[in-house]
Parts: sequence; structure tokens; C-alpha cells
Amino acid sequence: MATMKRAGPVAACVLLFLGLSVSAAVPPAEYRVKAVFLFNFAQFVDWPPDAFTAPGQPFVIGVLGKDPFGAELDAVVRGETVSHRSLVVERYFNIAELHNCHILYIARSEIGHLPQILKALEGRSVLTVSDADGDDQTGVMIRLVSRSNRVGLQIDVGAAKAGHLTISSKLLRPAEIVGGPEG
Amino acid sequence: MNERCAHNRQRAALAVFVLCLSSMAVGQPDSTGELKQLSLEELMDIQVTSVARHSESILQAPASVEVITHDEIRRSGVTSIAEALRLADNLQVAQKNSHDWGISARGFNASLANKLLVMIDGRTVYTPLFSGVFWNDQDYLLEDIERIEVISGPGGTLWGANAVNGVINIITRTAADTQGLYAEAGGGNQLKALTGARYGGTLGAGASYRVYGKYFDRDDEVYAGGRAAGDGWHQAQTGFRIDSAASARDMLSLHGDFYQGHAGLNTGGAARTAGGNVLGRWTHAMSDESELNLQTYYDRTHLVDPIPQAALNGVVLAPAGLLHDDLTTYDLDVQHRISLAGGNSLVWGLGYRYTHDVVRNAPGIGFLPTTLNQNLFSAFLQDEIAIRPDLSLILGSKIEHNDYTGFEYEPNIRVRWSLAQDQSLWSAISRAARTPSRIDRDLVEPAPPYTTILTGGTDYGSEYVTAYEAGYKGRVSTTSTASVSVFRNDYRDVRSLSFTPGTIFPVFIANNVAGHTEGVEVTADGQLLQSWSVHAGYDYLHERLHVRPGQSDLTHALGETADPKHRISIRSSLHLAAQLNWDAAVRWVDALVVNGGSLVGKVPAYFELDTRLGWALSPSLEVSVSGQNLLHDHHPEYGFPSPARIEIQRSVYGKIAWRR
Repeated sequence: MATMKRAGPVAACVLLFLGLSVSAAVPPAEYRVKAVFLFNFAQFVDWPPDAFTAPGQPFVIGVLGKDPFGAELDAVVRGETVSHRSLVVERYFNIAELHNCHILYIARSEIGHLPQILKALEGRSVLTVSDADGDDQTGVMIRLVSRSNRVGLQIDVGAAKAGHLTISSKLLRPAEIVGGPEG
Repeated sequence: MNERCAHNRQRAALAVFVLCLSSMAVGQPDSTGELKQLSLEELMDIQVTSVARHSESILQAPASVEVITHDEIRRSGVTSIAEALRLADNLQVAQKNSHDWGISARGFNASLANKLLVMIDGRTVYTPLFSGVFWNDQDYLLEDIERIEVISGPGGTLWGANAVNGVINIITRTAADTQGLYAEAGGGNQLKALTGARYGGTLGAGASYRVYGKYFDRDDEVYAGGRAAGDGWHQAQTGFRIDSAASARDMLSLHGDFYQGHAGLNTGGAARTAGGNVLGRWTHAMSDESELNLQTYYDRTHLVDPIPQAALNGVVLAPAGLLHDDLTTYDLDVQHRISLAGGNSLVWGLGYRYTHDVVRNAPGIGFLPTTLNQNLFSAFLQDEIAIRPDLSLILGSKIEHNDYTGFEYEPNIRVRWSLAQDQSLWSAISRAARTPSRIDRDLVEPAPPYTTILTGGTDYGSEYVTAYEAGYKGRVSTTSTASVSVFRNDYRDVRSLSFTPGTIFPVFIANNVAGHTEGVEVTADGQLLQSWSVHAGYDYLHERLHVRPGQSDLTHALGETADPKHRISIRSSLHLAAQLNWDAAVRWVDALVVNGGSLVGKVPAYFELDTRLGWALSPSLEVSVSGQNLLHDHHPEYGFPSPARIEIQRSVYGKIAWRR
């Protein structure tokens, strides 16, 4: 009986490991990769000059709603610059808190309020990004979609154009283009 | 007669405390830096795991939390986990000798401090002998520690008994984060030798691993007069960790560590320690909203401790001899997180722990029964309810069943109110229990057949706290953050050393102390320049404990506390040039009121300075010089003033670290 007790947990540990040995190495956390995508968007999208009110004004990546990134997004932008502007992360609970924001990640918790959010951003040069599931997200400029455990991109060129944003072909090439160009 | 009696009590107390036990290659890029180097196409080809996606940033948790990062540990020049904990302002860390520390949150840093729960990668490391931590047994290759989370205040609901005043959560890096070769070597006046190495690779397909080893040798500390105390310490440790993504929704981890140490004692001889553990964990994301965690571990510790002879009034009560302790722990935990519709985030869990403790008594100190098997069952449920986007309510309770006191309930209620971006107010009321440890129930000092003058209490029950807390944390400008926490804790049934009516002896352990503590914890962090960050912390603690009316306590309700009223720390981290970093930390610790049995003494207030200069000669090679406790030749941090009190010396050492 004593021997049984001793062997039990060790056997359990070994059993846990019989399940492994497929695919490649341990993948990084989903939101680490998505944070790097947001950082890349800052480099592959051109904002109109009036998106910045002062020469030294930082480039702002905003997170609206329940933040899934933890410390990942902050870690990605730390010490980085985009066209000589430092990058900062801001977090909002309400779209009304947003003032100078260049990329806005709309968290899953806010997707129910999407029409109001997009209305509040109308005419402003804010690149909207979402990774929520479901089809009813018309008007979000870039969607991070899940494709066999990888992150794919869907870009609504028309919506971006309406916000006076120019998306580099480098970003468009690997993406799936949705929505037609407007006007 | 009264005088005689008081004298006896003093001698008994000294005897009791002199006898104290406390002698004691990657398949795909993973790091953020690597990911940033990838093209968009490459980034889109990276496989990701959705495991642990719900892990909330601890900075948003509605509690007093400090996080010590990997980088802070590396840049501070600390050489052990206990030293690293000085980087958390909400902890009081007092070094007692070369290998023992008293570490506590919100007071109660007594010689057998027992109100903190400490975990390494989910494995609880306190000893059921006294519900405290043998800090000398808790080691790791510091390079491979990801972060240390320190929560001050009760954490009983999620973590269970012993999380009375705080929780320390030490988290090591994943095997994927520690790929390649790392080697370090160094030495100095106190730290005579330090070596460590790790290698991380991949196990064919699917898994990463690392193996590590380390060894150090520390010199003796000294008495006030400068004479060596004979408390030198050397220890070796080795271990491994394997992480595997069996699928995009499954993570498996297997860890193991083994150590052996030799810790000199100023009472003569050396404590010999050894131990090891194996832990397995499976995390399964059932869906985007639901995650299951299954963890099991096996842990063994072995201690042989020379106990000096016991004497009272010059009469030898028991000769010197060895105390042996062998503890085996089996633990199984299940935890499930699920986000429900309507803004509910639910966490529930079940746990079972079996401990098998075998003591071989020394004449001077023992435990009866010598062999004790214990079962601990636990269950908890916590719900976070988003009432509004900016307001959430957290309700939960843990229920535990232990063999000593039966069922224990540890509920808490928390509120978080987000004021604006990155700013929140929080408040909580919690109840936590410190269940009896073996010392409280089973202690015999000296052990039969010798005359016992101190015994455990057969009726000794749990100690309880009800804690009221509130705090603010937030970003006060783009370059600075701050936090403030205030608390009041009401304690009842705290440990006392009470007299047997009529005969005084044996003194026995009872629950005859009660009282309250109040305090404030403040931290501020600022990035003053791109290359210069500073941190400041201040802690205030007021403890008011009393002996219950009509009851007695040998220590006049001072036996469980040895805490500074004020503590201040200031740290600076400066990036001097591309490859040159300079860090410095000053701390001021107020005087401690300590007891030696019924006598009251003091550890004087002190200032100390630690600093490190690191120079990266190349991306793979760094040399550094660190100085610890530079302001004094030696200074005491703990202990009743006596010729046997050990003081901590200035330490300077150099180190070379190489990674490939």
C-alpha cells in the first residue's frame, strides 16, 4: 500500500507526458503575436498629418474594453519609435475617453457596442482593429482572424479610406481584402 | 517568590528561543524581440496557443500586488530568492545569518513567521513543521525566474490556509523562453563562489526543455565584535523543466528540482538539508471562454539539525543531539476558469494534499507523535461579476478540511472601480485562517524522557484574521505609476506561550493573543528619462496585540511580532551607455522591537545600500560587480540583543555571465 501511494503521483506525471510529441516547439501566446501585429500596423499604415497635433506627440495604441494583452502589448512597444514618435499604450473603458489615438484595438467585451463606437470615430483617422468572432463587424478596418491556430488578416480597404488612412501594399498583400473601395 | 518566578520565566524563555528550529533550440520564434523581427507573412505563419489567454494582468487585480520582474532581479545583483524579495516593498525581509531570513507581509515577522504562503510554479513550499518557510531550501537559477508576484493581504480564497498576510508566487520561465546555453561564475568576499549553468533545447517535435545546475559557497557572518559566527553555507541544486504544446489547446509541463545543502550553525555543527520535487501540469483550453488546469506534484525534504543541549538555570535538562525530519508531500489540484454570459468570470477548484512527516527527536527538541500523516481537502469558488464596464464585484470562498481543526471557511468580497484608463480604486473584506502546524500541537522541548518545559497545545486551534483593505493604483502620468493601499487586520486566537496553572511549567502553546494591525503601503515608479527609472516605496505598520484577559503569555504578546514601524526604499536604474547599466537601492528599516522570551530588546534602525554595475562586453557576454550592504562593516537585521546575535557583513562580488 505504501509503495502504491509513492508510485501514484509519479506515474500520473509520466502519463501526462505520453500525450506530447507532435507539431513544432511550444507556440507563443496568442496575444503576444497579436501585440506584434498591432506594432506592425503602426509601420505599414500612413496617417494624415492632422492625426498628430504636435511634433513630439507620441503614437498611441489604444485598447478599448477588457484588455486581453496583459503586459504583452506594453512589452512590444517599449523603447520603440515610429517616425521619431515614441509609442504608448492607452486603455479605455469608454469610447468617450479616447482623444488622441491612432490604432484602436476593440476588445471582445465591446463588440456589442460596435455601431456606437464606429459612429463616435466617424471621420477620424483611427485604425480600428478587432479579433472578435462572428460576421457582424462591418466597418472594422482590420480584423485578426483565427486560421488553423495561426493569425490571419482581413482588411476593409473602404473603411480605412474613409478614415483617410493609407495602408501599405506590404500589409495588403498577405491579407484578405473585404469590402469594396468607397467613392 | 515572585522574583524567582519571573527569573525562571526569563530563563525558560531564553532556553525556548535558543532552541528554536529556525537554524535553518527553438522550432519557431517566441520572444517578443524575435517576433518583431519577422515579416508580416512570417508572423502570419506563427502557430499560437490560446492557453492562459485569460490570465489577467496582475496590476489590475483588486489587491495590493507587487511584481518583481526578471530584469529587476538580474539588474539588482541579488544572489538568492530571499534577497530578491527585498525588491518587493510590501515585504519585510530581515536576514538572520548567512542562510536564514525572516520574511513577512503586514507584520508578524517572528522567528517562526507563519502567515505567508509561498509557491514556486504552483508548488507550496512551507513546512508543516511550523507553517513557515525554510528559505535556505528555496533556490533556483535566478536567470530562469520569469517574475515573482507578491500579494500583501489575505489570499485565502484562491490559495487557502496560510495565505493570512500574503502570498508569494515565484514563476520560472518556460522552457521555450530559456533556450540555448547560459553559464555564470563569480565570487567575492562573502559569496566565496557562485557558479551556474543551464542548457535549453527542443525534444524533437512538440516540446522544449531545459536542464540547469548551480552551486554556491557563502562565508560566515559575524557577531557584533567581529568574530566569525560559524554559519557558512554551501548548497548545490539541479533541475529541469519540459513544456509541450500537445495541441493548440493543450499545454503540458513537467518540472523537477533536487538540492543538497550544508548550513553552519553558530550553536555548533551544521544543518544538512536535501530535497527534491517533481511537478506535472496540464492546461487545456476547452474553448475561448473556458480553461482547465490540472496539477500534481511530489515533494520530499530532508533535514538533519544539530540541537544544542538544553539548560535551565545552569541545570542541564537534555544533552545535545540531532533532530531529523523527513517530509513527503503529494498534492493534486484542479482549477477551472470559465467566462459566462452576463459578465461573470468564474473560477473554481478542488485540491487534495497528503503529507507524511517523520521526525527523529533530538534530546533537546522533539515532536510527538514522531510520525504524522495528514490529509488536506479543499474546494473554492470565486465569481467576478462585471456590474458595469468600470465596476466589478468579486465574491468567493474557500472551504478546507484539515485533520487538526476540521472545516475552515475563508471567504472574501472585493470591489474594483476603474476611474479612467489605467486607474482604479479597490476595496476588500476577507477572512483567512492559519491552521495549526506541528510545532503548535506536537512540540516537546526537551523531548521525553527528559523534563519537558515547553509543549504544544493539545487544544491549539486556528488563528483567524478579518482584513479590511482599500487601495488605489494607476498611471498618474505617461511616465509614472503609483499605488497606495491601506489596511486594518483584526486577529484572534494568535499563538501565545502560556503557563500551566500552579506549576508554570511546562509552558504550553495556546491561542491567547488577539489584537489588530493597521498600515499603509505606498509605491511610486517613474521613468524620469528614457534611460533612467526610479522607484520609491514606503510602508507603515502599527501592531497592537494583547494577551486575552485572564490568560497568560510568556512573551507579553510580543512573541509573534518583530516588525519595523516604518520602512523606506528607493531604487534607481540607469542605462549609462549602450552596454553599461548602473543600479542602486537604498533602504531604511526602522528599529524592531523583539522579544527574548519575556525580555524586550531592540534591533536598531538602519540604512543600507546595494548597487550593481553591469557591462555587456558583447551580446553574449556580461561582466558585473555588485555590492550589498555597503554602508556598514556589519549590521544586525534581526534577533534579541545578545552576544550570540549574528550581524550581516558588507559583501562585494564580481560575476561573468555568458549566453549563446
